[in-house]
Amino acid sequence: MNRTLLAKELRANLFVSFIIAAVLAMYIGVIVSMYDPELGESLDAMMQSMPEMFAAFGMSVQATTLIDFMLNYLYGFLLTIFILVLILIMANKLMVRYLDRGAMAYLLATPNSRTRIALTMVGVMVTILVALMAVVTALEVGFAEAMFPGELDMQALMRVNAGLLALWLAMAGLCFLSACLFSNATAALWVGGGLNILFFLMQMASKVGDKFEFLENVNPLTLFDYYGLAAGDASAAGGAIALAVGAVALFAVAVAVFDRRDLSI
Amino acid sequence: MKEECAPQGATKARVAEATGGRTASGGGMAGVCAERGRGSAIEVESLVKDYGKGRGVFGVSFAVERGEVFGFLGPNGAGKTVTMRNLMGFIRPDEGTARIDGLDCFGQRARIQERLGYLPGEIACMDEMTGTAFLEFMARMKKLRDRARMNQLIEYFELDPARRIRKMSKGTKQKVGLVCAFMTSPDIILLDEPTSGLDPLMQSRFIDLVLEEKRRGATILLSSHLFDEVERTCDRVAFIRAGRLAAVERMDDVRKSRKRVFVVTFADEAGRDRYAQAHPDAQKRGAASVEAAVAGNLDAFVKDLAAYDIVDLAAREQTLEELFMHLYGATDQAEKGGSHE
Repeated sequence: MNRTLLAKELRANLFVSFIIAAVLAMYIGVIVSMYDPELGESLDAMMQSMPEMFAAFGMSVQATTLIDFMLNYLYGFLLTIFILVLILIMANKLMVRYLDRGAMAYLLATPNSRTRIALTMVGVMVTILVALMAVVTALEVGFAEAMFPGELDMQALMRVNAGLLALWLAMAGLCFLSACLFSNATAALWVGGGLNILFFLMQMASKVGDKFEFLENVNPLTLFDYYGLAAGDASAAGGAIALAVGAVALFAVAVAVFDRRDLSI
Repeated sequence: MKEECAPQGATKARVAEATGGRTASGGGMAGVCAERGRGSAIEVESLVKDYGKGRGVFGVSFAVERGEVFGFLGPNGAGKTVTMRNLMGFIRPDEGTARIDGLDCFGQRARIQERLGYLPGEIACMDEMTGTAFLEFMARMKKLRDRARMNQLIEYFELDPARRIRKMSKGTKQKVGLVCAFMTSPDIILLDEPTSGLDPLMQSRFIDLVLEEKRRGATILLSSHLFDEVERTCDRVAFIRAGRLAAVERMDDVRKSRKRVFVVTFADEAGRDRYAQAHPDAQKRGAASVEAAVAGNLDAFVKDLAAYDIVDLAAREQTLEELFMHLYGATDQAEKGGSHE
């Protein structure tokens, strides 16, 4: 990794990361504050009135504990879709735009190998995602302890968040690979982004109706089983590890592709 | 032509070694310097890169000796930038090889960059940065410790680097790129259309800079579609068209063979026709004019015109295309002769 480039790109992506963190802070605060056994009952009533709608967004379990409540309302959708937006913005800034505008020529006109440049870009993504995960965990713990001291199962939260980080990195790996693979800027951004969005849509469809349940089996998002992680299931931990391994593999292939390909810059 | 250039260049390389190479790059360089100080600085051998539809380069070969300024001249889309991309290791050749300092341009590109300066043809810097931030960033990426040369170049080009690059004019962006290419005092410099966007004053400063760098011992390859900047800086020039090298010539020979074109307007059509009959080379233009290309001595041409009633006489240099056609044809005829005219 090149520290000069790492510092520059971290600075360049700081603002958008901050915005995403602020949006997540708002949602986490609102959702945690909504936790109340009595209000939970009325939410359950609403959920029963339109179960498909809630199920589509992964909010289908009758939540009794605070961690269940958070898993139900945060982890199925909000904590993934906003991160996908951030990942797409980063992939665009760190790779797609550099190649599309030709500014990559300047980075490569220095005694830094392509592998080093690409690994630095990966380093920027990973650093920001890990930092954001730390912020999200701190916010969750902070809000929960402030409003409902002692209610939150910390160990379960840590297990779930470790799995969530693996999912984020896998999504980022896919987007980065696509950014390194295609010379066409639109394809570079949207093949990876589109696949991720497709996985989300598949997950939503499979939860609504039995007809689409087969989609679960071909969807990598299924590997992130947050209820299983909270409960401490071995298979859920295996899924999270698979996501992490997948992330490493996707990033490695992306760097290798970038090292070998022709660059029209 | 090689025979003359090589020893001269080699001497310069040895001088550079004896004085410890560049001071800016610091320790460990002297050894590398000695190891690399042999052979041509840039060698391109039967290079093929086919982009389809006739775009690309097809069997390009040339060598640039150490300390030489080498021009790469051709119309837009002739393959100049493709050759540059090969030399920078951005693309892998389909066939043939491109070497700098004896190192493979694609496989060992990062090592080559230790001693190379490059100006891209498309000036696309990091838009959101200011010129100052960009140059400082690039200096760090190139591990440049001493900023004296950078500041000297900023002053030389009268560049105000404080503004955001996005807001700069094309010429100002070009200056940023030039400072970036020259600030490490590199041994080998690749410049892709270096003067595009520069005003005439800055163009002439650029030419002075190239000559100064040449005296320092740098090897420079510059591509252009403008004859003038190549004429004033280069020792040798390669003409490229449709991805193929048409000729590699010494600049002195090209200068000699370059004709001047005169547009002569006669008082009446009869006079023009009389002249045209006597000089079949002259081409009729308009009602009472001819266009005549003259090489070498103008005396005969002028004295000949004295016999006619002349209304107007205008001179211009041969365009690149005309010169190119002329050289191209001559090369075919005098393959082994080696000279033109």
